[in-house]
Amino acid sequence: MASVAESGVTPASRRRRFSRRRVGQAAAPYVLLTPAAAVIGLVLAYPLYLLVKMSFEKYGLFELIRHKGRWIGTANYASIFHDGEFWHVVLRTLVFTIVCVSLTMVLGTAIALLLLQVSRWVRIALTTGLVLVWAVPVIVAVNIWRWMVDYQFGVANWTLTKLHLGDFARHDWFANPWTGFGVFTLLIVWGAIPFVTITVYAGLAQVPHELLEAAAIDGARPWAIFREVTLPLLKPIFVILTSLSIIWDFQVFQQIWVMLDARPSSDYYTMAIYAFHQSFQISEYGLGAAIAVVMVLFMFMATLIYLRQMLRTGEVN
Amino acid sequence: MKVRYLAAGLLVAMLAVAASTASGGTSRSHATKIVVWLQNDAQNGWPEAVALANRNFKAQHPDVDVDVQYQSWGTHLTKFDAALAGGDAPDVIEMGNTEMTKYMAAGAFKSLTQSAFPNSATWLQGLKGSCQFNGKLYGVPYYAGARAVIYRTDQYKAAGIKSAPKSLAQFMVDGQKLMKKYGKDGNYSAVYFPGKYWYYAMSFVYDYGSQIAIRKGGKWKGTLNTPRALAALNQVKRVMKLSRASKTGDEANPQQALVFAKGKVGSFVGNGWEWPYALDTKVGNPALDGKMNAYPMPSHLRGKFMPTFLGGSDLAIPVTTKNQGLAADWIKAFTSTASESEIAKAGNIANTTKLLSFNASNPKLAPFARAAKYSWFVPTSPNWTNVENANVLQNMLVKIATGRASVRAAATSASNQITRILNTGA
Repeated sequence: MASVAESGVTPASRRRRFSRRRVGQAAAPYVLLTPAAAVIGLVLAYPLYLLVKMSFEKYGLFELIRHKGRWIGTANYASIFHDGEFWHVVLRTLVFTIVCVSLTMVLGTAIALLLLQVSRWVRIALTTGLVLVWAVPVIVAVNIWRWMVDYQFGVANWTLTKLHLGDFARHDWFANPWTGFGVFTLLIVWGAIPFVTITVYAGLAQVPHELLEAAAIDGARPWAIFREVTLPLLKPIFVILTSLSIIWDFQVFQQIWVMLDARPSSDYYTMAIYAFHQSFQISEYGLGAAIAVVMVLFMFMATLIYLRQMLRTGEVN
Repeated sequence: MKVRYLAAGLLVAMLAVAASTASGGTSRSHATKIVVWLQNDAQNGWPEAVALANRNFKAQHPDVDVDVQYQSWGTHLTKFDAALAGGDAPDVIEMGNTEMTKYMAAGAFKSLTQSAFPNSATWLQGLKGSCQFNGKLYGVPYYAGARAVIYRTDQYKAAGIKSAPKSLAQFMVDGQKLMKKYGKDGNYSAVYFPGKYWYYAMSFVYDYGSQIAIRKGGKWKGTLNTPRALAALNQVKRVMKLSRASKTGDEANPQQALVFAKGKVGSFVGNGWEWPYALDTKVGNPALDGKMNAYPMPSHLRGKFMPTFLGGSDLAIPVTTKNQGLAADWIKAFTSTASESEIAKAGNIANTTKLLSFNASNPKLAPFARAAKYSWFVPTSPNWTNVENANVLQNMLVKIATGRASVRAAATSASNQITRILNTGA
């Protein structure tokens, strides 16, 4: 979006004749950027600085009350890296993220392709449904899902039993972490699909018809057309969507937290929950901060891919 | 161009809003209000006591409002930590008696003068102990609770149970009778026992002569994998078979008294206040009045009671308050004899022995007062709250309830975790 605005301004500025004006023009972007930079500094950079600082400190309840931590170097990091549970949590979070992101991208794209094929009314109905899903606040969505998978009165158990898929009366989906995470995967993919579908659909609408037709005339099959024509054209969109999904799914918190009454058992710890647990439940804020910093580094990698694509897209435009 | 100006304008507006709200939060020069954090038990169970205290406080300080903010047990400490860090903690906070030590050790509360508070000479010894650290007083006992078996007299009679069981063995036999009579309904529980209900489960451990952890030579050691504790936990697993409650749920989500009110529960182990709560006209079932009674949970030793968890709450004044005098005055009003009588009437044990006869003479309170004579308490380590917050006992019980691990494996892993947490920083 920034690049679009840019291209609208540049030709106009070339026409300016007076140097004073030109100086003003040159300063204007910086002046205009200042509030944004100040806000980012205030709400992002400063807290991040505090987080990193805290991760090198002993910061428990005692220190919290006195608003002053004690510097202990890398002891917090050493402690989490030697903690077997931490690596379990990292692995669990990574696997969960990969599964969720893959499912979201594949299903989201599939539905976007479907939208191209169906009649106008079906498309409108489908899009409306997707937007509605998107519009539901996370907490509301989680509570609805919670009722659906309730062990005693949930509609999920009732339906599965009625369909003769087995006896699901009083089946507790969260008794086993595998089925529990199955429910969370469904919930998260369900919530993430609308954004992916609508964005990919918008991208698909931009693919020149001539290209697709030409490929078809040359005898390419639909799958080949998608792979050889559509996919390369939409690559920037896919890269951005995937990296955003990674960032979102990697830090999943509310869904698990709310669904499990704010007391998830350790089988359900993701990195975000583990950091919260160390900080707010055990009152080891330094340790929690160290986990959060590691998390930030993980996400920074995903962001790098995203940023590179953003910059490239900017160059093309 | 326009888009940019719009964006810049928006940002300036956002900054302005942020700045104005920031300055709005800090004006606290002369107190016109004190903030009190109570648990929502008071809201559900004894709102009269709160109203009475507020009226009496208001009579004494007409210019000061009392803002009572209700909290839930699961999240109040998280919020309290955040409030302490932000310098915005309440003036009075209700703390669970098991939560006190950690916060007293960290210096979170103002120290108090015992004689300034009503009935302080006759405070319940168990509660008073939870308010003291290194010989100083940091809290005021609020109320205590003991759990007993609350049951449906009509269902017991229909199942052929003639009197309240006198031993754990009889309790089990009666439970099976109930299941035989009503258990065809897949949602019926003879004994409603959600998987994470550790206050009840640990009573078995103490009844069988074990503890959660012991202190030896300055070091804590988890003792849930000792032979006695294992025998107790195996018994817990057998009692759980009489329940269709969620194996991964706890006693507060949903409130067990309200599940009981729905009619498909023969008995549950609850606090005194849960009896009237089950009959509540709005959320409970008043039709059960006259069909309920309670008895102390019987021990595995015939004729004895199983120790019950000495639950309770204290009131404390955070160090961050600027209104210590007002806060203390509100606590005095809330723990006055009149107010404590209201609290006792709601099914609790008042903070003073002066009011104990009050409980013994009321048939709806007497079983809990009798149960309270044999009680257990959590290990008194500043780190104990961390064991609770790490859900160590709950996780162990869920593993036992769902059969995901053997009793021995679950107990050993929990015990090792407890040893580690209790010795942290010691």
